[in-house]
Amino acid sequence: MKKRIFRSMCILVIVAILFSSILVVAALFPHFNSQMYQEIKTEAAYLAAGLNEADNKLTFLHASEIRHQSTRITLIAGDGTVLFDNKAQAANMDNHLLRPEITEALENGSAQSVRRSQTLGNQTFYYAVKLNDGTVIRLATTTGNFLTAVVSVLPYLLPIVLVVFFLALFLAQKMTRRIVDPINALDLESPLKNQVYEELLPLLSRIKAQNKQIELHMEELRAKQEDFLAITSHMSEGLITLDPKGNVLTVNPSALRLLSASKSFHEGQNILTLNRNLTLKQAAQTALKGEHFDGLLTTKNRTCRLFASPVYERDEIIKGAIIFVLDVTEQQKAEQIRREFSANVSHELKTPLTSISGYAELLENGLVKPEDIPTFAERIHCEAHRLINLVESIIKLSGLEEKKIQVEWKKVDLLELVQSIAQRLKPQAREKNIEIAVAGEGAIIWAVKQMIDELITNLCENAIKYNKPQGRVEINIYRDHRKTVLCVADTGIGIPLEHQERIFERFYRVDKSHSKQTEGTGLGLSIVKHIAEYHQAEINLESSENQGTKITVAFSDVDGIQETEFGLRDSHK
Amino acid sequence: MRRQFDLQLKELHNQLVEMGALIENAINSAVRALIHQNIEEAEQAIAFDAEVDKKEKEIESLCLRLLCQQQPVASDLRLISAALKMITDMERIGDQSADISEITKLMAGQPYIKKLEHIPQMAEATIKMVTESIDAFVHRDLALAQSVVDYDDVVDNLFDKVKEELIALISEDAKNGSQAMDLIMIAKYFERIGDHATNIAEWVIFSITGERQSDELKSK
Repeated sequence: MKKRIFRSMCILVIVAILFSSILVVAALFPHFNSQMYQEIKTEAAYLAAGLNEADNKLTFLHASEIRHQSTRITLIAGDGTVLFDNKAQAANMDNHLLRPEITEALENGSAQSVRRSQTLGNQTFYYAVKLNDGTVIRLATTTGNFLTAVVSVLPYLLPIVLVVFFLALFLAQKMTRRIVDPINALDLESPLKNQVYEELLPLLSRIKAQNKQIELHMEELRAKQEDFLAITSHMSEGLITLDPKGNVLTVNPSALRLLSASKSFHEGQNILTLNRNLTLKQAAQTALKGEHFDGLLTTKNRTCRLFASPVYERDEIIKGAIIFVLDVTEQQKAEQIRREFSANVSHELKTPLTSISGYAELLENGLVKPEDIPTFAERIHCEAHRLINLVESIIKLSGLEEKKIQVEWKKVDLLELVQSIAQRLKPQAREKNIEIAVAGEGAIIWAVKQMIDELITNLCENAIKYNKPQGRVEINIYRDHRKTVLCVADTGIGIPLEHQERIFERFYRVDKSHSKQTEGTGLGLSIVKHIAEYHQAEINLESSENQGTKITVAFSDVDGIQETEFGLRDSHK
Repeated sequence: MRRQFDLQLKELHNQLVEMGALIENAINSAVRALIHQNIEEAEQAIAFDAEVDKKEKEIESLCLRLLCQQQPVASDLRLISAALKMITDMERIGDQSADISEITKLMAGQPYIKKLEHIPQMAEATIKMVTESIDAFVHRDLALAQSVVDYDDVVDNLFDKVKEELIALISEDAKNGSQAMDLIMIAKYFERIGDHATNIAEWVIFSITGERQSDELKSK
């Protein structure tokens, strides 16, 4: 800006000087010319007077200092021959008779003329006077033309231009500062409060309008951003947005949780700072290449499904990528359970059928000795029985699950029931040298008797089956916080921690080999669980490997039943 | 100029995180292969080694470029020199994961002479150390780095236990000898991985504080 102001100032001043000098010259030039003309005329008059008086004109002319005068003086005879010239050799000069001023002077006594020299660009004034003896004296003076006059002024202009140049430099600097400084010092936040020269006021009002606009846009963007954040932060799915280089732009809390990432600042960081599983990197790279990605990422305690997609700008340039993180841990687990269930159910059903079919085939082909037939028949009967039991159990379970069975709810004395079951299981226990002990107070619960029978039997059978020889099974009934608790504890092999969560699943067996060492369908505890749920009872498992298992089932009081029953009992006593 | 430098430093950080991710995955694969006697996983762990080596070269040349072009000072210089040292340790971890998997492949045909008990514990401990040392680098977490350094004793103790167990097994039955030797090699590799993770953690501490841990210990 400074340069521009300086330049225009210089141009302005130089043009002004140039024009004014041209104008001055133009104004003065005619005046100067007429002055010059007047001068020659006077001079010529004096010289003519002098010559008229002189005896010998030539001697007079030679004698006087005319020779050194700036004015050119020529004496011409009446026939045009040059007699004298103070600037040249008269003899060498040609006849002047035809020169206009001479011709005219011979006629009229005096004459003037102006001639311009084309080559030298100057002009010559002539003035001729006819003398007494018929000769003509001519005076001539040469001046420059207009242009040379102008050019001759130029050297005087140079110092002026120099002075102007420096002055302009100084002023330009000062002026620029005066224009720019208030602009630089503007308070853009509240533009109209600035004290500035009035030319800036339109700018300030425009800035104010602009500010308002920007504020509105910002507010809009902020609102949108907040909406986005509110939506993404409450999503249960993880959402990560990436820039084209694969660095994190935004990441929502769910993504941090699902990827077990720290809460520290991730924006602008490499995606691997979220989780260093290479699947994540692969997802980002695939998406940034413009392809979709769908894959599983397994962390320590979770399985997540990743969906990554590229984000395009104008359908061409990839501007980034979005990664969705879904928690599929439960799904994955359910899938696993379903697979195991199918495998188990087919195995459990197939085993007895294979045996039956095998024995039957032997009988059919007459490969069995007649005396062995009863044994075989017994085996077939036994396996068929097992199969029926199994199918019954499955039907029972489905019934419990669907809650469609017709049942009879009534008051059940838990202690009585437990005692009778213990009695029933004694022989089985004796086989393994296991002692069954029942203890506790009488307790009445509102329940379906057959179901509770089944529940206790299952628990006790398990306690015997998975016990060690010379072990103990303790069954306890007690009251605890408005609840009647049935506790079955054994001193058996226990259940390893990793299986504890799953033993209530159908067909789930700790011993995966499905060995026949301990018979069982893997449905017992599943039925127990469903019966407990049916009665809204809480079921609890405590077990440590090689030390024993304790299962408690807590029946909540149904209002008005237990209290009165207990009351009744007490009064009987 | 500074902006360019900052970008390059960020790139270095990213590359280190990537290399960290590579060795973590390598050691995880190696451990899974070992425990489940899975040859495919073992192959994967071995394949990671080449990637780790490639990454090491990339980071090395990036560090050298940074040193030459930017002539860093103070904490920048510390970070770059620490990075140069760290990648050597990381590369060794990648190598040892591959070595473990090579042995795993040899043993895949035969059942283990004894249910692996302490070796998986060692594996878990070393994975924890490697993960945490890289976490400490990513988050510039001094306390975490320090905990990794301290945790090395756990791995060392486990190594002693494994050694005693294997000696007992050999003295029980000389036929156990060949697999016992393989297992002791594996345990030693885990022990070495723990040491490298300790080194990484020490370099993290150095890049943050400018103090060399092991020097301090020696002077005490």
